[in-house]
Amino acid sequence: MTNTQVPAVRPRPSTPPAVAERPSVRDRGARLLAALFLAPTVVGIVVFTVVPIIGSIVLSLFHWNVIDPPRFAGGANYRTTFTDSTVLVSFRNTLLFMVLAVALQLLIALALALALNGRMPVWLRSVFRSAFFFPLVLSAASISVVMKYLFNQDFGVVNWLIGLVGVAPVPWLTSEHAAMATVILVYVWQQFGFSFLLFVGGLNNIPKEIHEAAALDGATGLRKHLGITLPLLSPTLLVASVVGIINALQVFEQPYVLTDGGPGDATRTVVMVIYERAFEQLDFGEASAVGVLLFVLIMAVTALQFRLSRRFVHYQ
Amino acid sequence: MTDSHLPRRTLLRYGAYGAGAAALAATAASWDRLTGADIPGRDDGSLVVATLGSAFDPATVDALTKGFHRLHPDIPLRVNAVQAVDWSDFFAKILTQIAAGTAPDLVYVATEGVQLFARRLGVPLDRWVRRDAAQLREYFADVHPSLVESMMYEGNLYQLPMEFNAADIYLNKQVLKRAGAGFPAADWSRDDFTALLREMKRAGDAHFTPYFWTNRLWGGVVPWLFANGTNLLKESKAPGGSWLWDTFYPAADRQGRGGGFRWTTPQATADRVEEAYDYLASLVQEDLCTRPEGGNGSNLVGVFSTSRVGVTPAGGFWAGGLHLAGMRAADYDVQYFPRWRTQRHQFGAAGYALLRTSKKQEAAWEFIKYAARKDTMTRLFQSNQTTPARRSMLNAARYAASGPAHWQVFYDTLDRFPDTGPIPAPPQVAEVTDVLLKYTGTALASPRAVGPALRRMQGDLEQAMEREV
Repeated sequence: MTNTQVPAVRPRPSTPPAVAERPSVRDRGARLLAALFLAPTVVGIVVFTVVPIIGSIVLSLFHWNVIDPPRFAGGANYRTTFTDSTVLVSFRNTLLFMVLAVALQLLIALALALALNGRMPVWLRSVFRSAFFFPLVLSAASISVVMKYLFNQDFGVVNWLIGLVGVAPVPWLTSEHAAMATVILVYVWQQFGFSFLLFVGGLNNIPKEIHEAAALDGATGLRKHLGITLPLLSPTLLVASVVGIINALQVFEQPYVLTDGGPGDATRTVVMVIYERAFEQLDFGEASAVGVLLFVLIMAVTALQFRLSRRFVHYQ
Repeated sequence: MTDSHLPRRTLLRYGAYGAGAAALAATAASWDRLTGADIPGRDDGSLVVATLGSAFDPATVDALTKGFHRLHPDIPLRVNAVQAVDWSDFFAKILTQIAAGTAPDLVYVATEGVQLFARRLGVPLDRWVRRDAAQLREYFADVHPSLVESMMYEGNLYQLPMEFNAADIYLNKQVLKRAGAGFPAADWSRDDFTALLREMKRAGDAHFTPYFWTNRLWGGVVPWLFANGTNLLKESKAPGGSWLWDTFYPAADRQGRGGGFRWTTPQATADRVEEAYDYLASLVQEDLCTRPEGGNGSNLVGVFSTSRVGVTPAGGFWAGGLHLAGMRAADYDVQYFPRWRTQRHQFGAAGYALLRTSKKQEAAWEFIKYAARKDTMTRLFQSNQTTPARRSMLNAARYAASGPAHWQVFYDTLDRFPDTGPIPAPPQVAEVTDVLLKYTGTALASPRAVGPALRRMQGDLEQAMEREV
């Protein structure tokens, strides 16, 4: 199946439709009912999303330390942000984290979903599904506290275990090189269950007839996956990657608890910087400026994903 | 949208909606800001005292409240025990409450926040202390002047110290025995300390670490800076304070006292600072100590009580913790921090700060006086979870069950080493602490990392100290 056969985007009509006639009383009633059902959601989005976003943008133009009245700062907070090495490093770390964590998360989730999609007793499949999803329902902070003990260089269980086979203790959380890898490992372990469930659902939606027809044409297992499963799973892959990237760009609990951003700035992420600027250094203006930049980054990355998805996502 | 041609009537309608929304927004903006205090039942007129939740158990809080009520039945009191991991987490939560418009009247503040609160939020206690001098004479006679001085800022007193902890050294006696080492002398040197760690290491197995320390302002690298006769920021004293010293302390204790500490110019690149970092880096390289980020106070009690650690810096608060962890009095002991160029110790103290937003300042002062009474402090500090600021409360009976044998070290640290002082905590303490922790980790990452890390630390500290807090 190729993109030319199944267009991803419905073509626009060549001429605009005629101006609609005035709706009937029944239509207006239906619209009102729809508006009533939508109202709570709309109000929720406006109050808890739109207003805070606008508030943050406004606050990013002020100096505010909670205690004294805000003072207008113009673009000073943004200028500080762009010259602050900690902020710049945190953006680099966050992007690196996003790329590695999301790629690993999707690969593991996809591999396990494909493996479970094969022949397997139903009960065993349920056990695996529950086991993979379980970490996702746990608190990230609690998991990180436990992991901090497990990965402790001097007294942790992980080093004790690898010590049994003669491997020297690894500075999992205290080496500039290993710390980010450990944080990613813990994050992926907790998060991949979500993508896994999406992929399981996506795989179930692929009609068996297509695979059977391909088998009749002589397609092997790998060929079927590359030529049929992956293209038909691409909408799910898009959703999983969009959600995964947005979550990864906002990572906070794992690096905060596991390493507190260290050693040095090795695992400091953007949201950690926002928290530190606001609640530790009482600089809510600069914290908001960093928050606005993160918002713009997330919007840009997501828009790019949807743009690229026109080429790579195939709908049946 | 499929139709981009908006009819004029529709345009006018949307314009009217927009104008209406703008008018509503303007009206809303002109209202007084709603705060948490506007929630019905939230502000019941009580005097609100915010404490670090984990420091006081519910029974203690109950005793504190009932005792105050007996003394002042006309002042309703509510203790808001804020659960927090450490002092910086606690301050963050208090500031959130202030931002939400539900500021407490009194906040239990440690050295880390004394100057920040004094500069931005606190009310000097001078006029009340002067007024009630007769009542307070007994308190000041029982509290070391160094602790009081650490609660002063630019000549004014902002808190009465209730507790403190100096960074002394705890030693696991089973580990000492295993290493065939004796208990160190009070004037032991840095080299004695290193030799002891090596002996412990030789006698221990692969999972044993002689020296455990944590990367933080109190008990981290700072005790070594103090011992080496230096500090992270240049230290001096503010003028003033004679109104207090002359009233409450004899001439010998007044000597050299001022109006509180000033921490100003960063000196991270000073030779002695670099020397202290080089020493700690050498301990890390030699596997004589943990990397500082490796552990924290929460897992420290466990590894010390099970003899997987030999020595660690801690204050009087650890006696209670080790006792709870099952250690017997004979299993551990405490000694002064080792001498290098000096044997100056660091300490942190805590007391109640009165917020200037409080509308019940007289009542709040009554609470501060009540909290500073010996019977109140005895009720509060029963289980050795800290070192009480009152000298008379430290006696053999207090440590009979929990140990350590050398419990006198806790208070004598202040007497024996009169230059012992508070951890450097200027109003910019949060950023200074962040910088210190960050670059301490970087400096000890590899053998040649100390110099470059300290140079970067210096730059960031200069930037931090220039911040208007």
